[in-house]
Amino acid sequence: MLTMSEPATLSDQNEPSGQLEGDLVRRARHGDLAAYDELVKRYQERIYATIYHMTANHEDANDLAQESFIKAFSALKSFKGGSSFYTWLYRIAVNKTINFLKQRRNKHHISLNDLDFNAEHDPDLMALISDKTPHREVNLSELQKKLNEALLKLSEPHRMAVVLHDVQGVSHEEIADVMGCNVGTVRSRLFYARQQLQGYLAEYIKS
Amino acid sequence: MSDSKNDFQELKRLLKLKQHEVPPPGYFNHFSGDVMARIRAGESAGPETALERIQSGSPFLATVLRLFEAKPGLIGAMATSLCLLFLMGVVLADRSDEPTGASGGQLSIQSPSSAPDSSPMLASAPLEPAESGISVSTNPVSSLQPSASLFGSPQNPLFQPAAFMPAGH
Repeated sequence: MLTMSEPATLSDQNEPSGQLEGDLVRRARHGDLAAYDELVKRYQERIYATIYHMTANHEDANDLAQESFIKAFSALKSFKGGSSFYTWLYRIAVNKTINFLKQRRNKHHISLNDLDFNAEHDPDLMALISDKTPHREVNLSELQKKLNEALLKLSEPHRMAVVLHDVQGVSHEEIADVMGCNVGTVRSRLFYARQQLQGYLAEYIKS
Repeated sequence: MSDSKNDFQELKRLLKLKQHEVPPPGYFNHFSGDVMARIRAGESAGPETALERIQSGSPFLATVLRLFEAKPGLIGAMATSLCLLFLMGVVLADRSDEPTGASGGQLSIQSPSSAPDSSPMLASAPLEPAESGISVSTNPVSSLQPSASLFGSPQNPLFQPAAFMPAGH
């Protein structure tokens, strides 16, 4: 099972049952629900994770992820295969999430997921909350809250660039494909977003 | 725009925390089941906005819309150029409507069904508004209005000031 901590590229095809994505898509287009169920299982974690990191709300992420898969199913006939199914699905999820966030601008309700067991054993994270950190009393939960609040201050396209690249490990080219812009724009958004984040989180980052 | 000056290593380390946020245990066990149940129930994926329809139907239009969204100044420039184009069209259309024989403020009357020289009397007798005191215009409201005040101008031959003379005088 793919965990949310695993960076995954869009072209990284996870095919546990050995079935080709193209075959599953073809069958799903002809109304084969079992084939589509297989596609949902294959991509549910990455789609959910992207939406969750954008909204910082589990309930919203659940709704939007389900709606993205339902919309993709109803629009399968319009999928021409110009890109991979996953890129196309990702585009639907990203657009749905950005539209949702625009409608709820400045009305963020944070509902964070718990940190997994591995977080407390991650040497990078431990270094951040070690004695060398300016705020010694800070704990991981507080850091998690501050990080999510800082992310929510970014505009949707900037947040999406950071989430896809720095959290999910998607390449610049694939982000450009999903977001419908060029690679230069992705790089520039990433740089600006990181600068902003660094400013918001200055007291938690060692200089 | 490169990361050479500022590689954001500490920030990237902090962002790793996001990767450890996980949904409740067993969440993904029933996720696909929920999606498939909603699909079987014939449920649509929520209300689809016009923007979403454009995004799924025409990626080019969606890109243009995103561009407008990112640079609002472009909308103003586009609107201004469209207005200028419209005005140019109106001006050009007006010019092409002008009769070729009319020039120098003279108005020639031509029958639309006949050739220009079929009624030489009319063609050679342009109306001269300055002499009659009535300006001729294509505007139905203003065409019958005299150009000067009715009673203020003694030269107006159509209107004479009324004079009341008592019988004994």
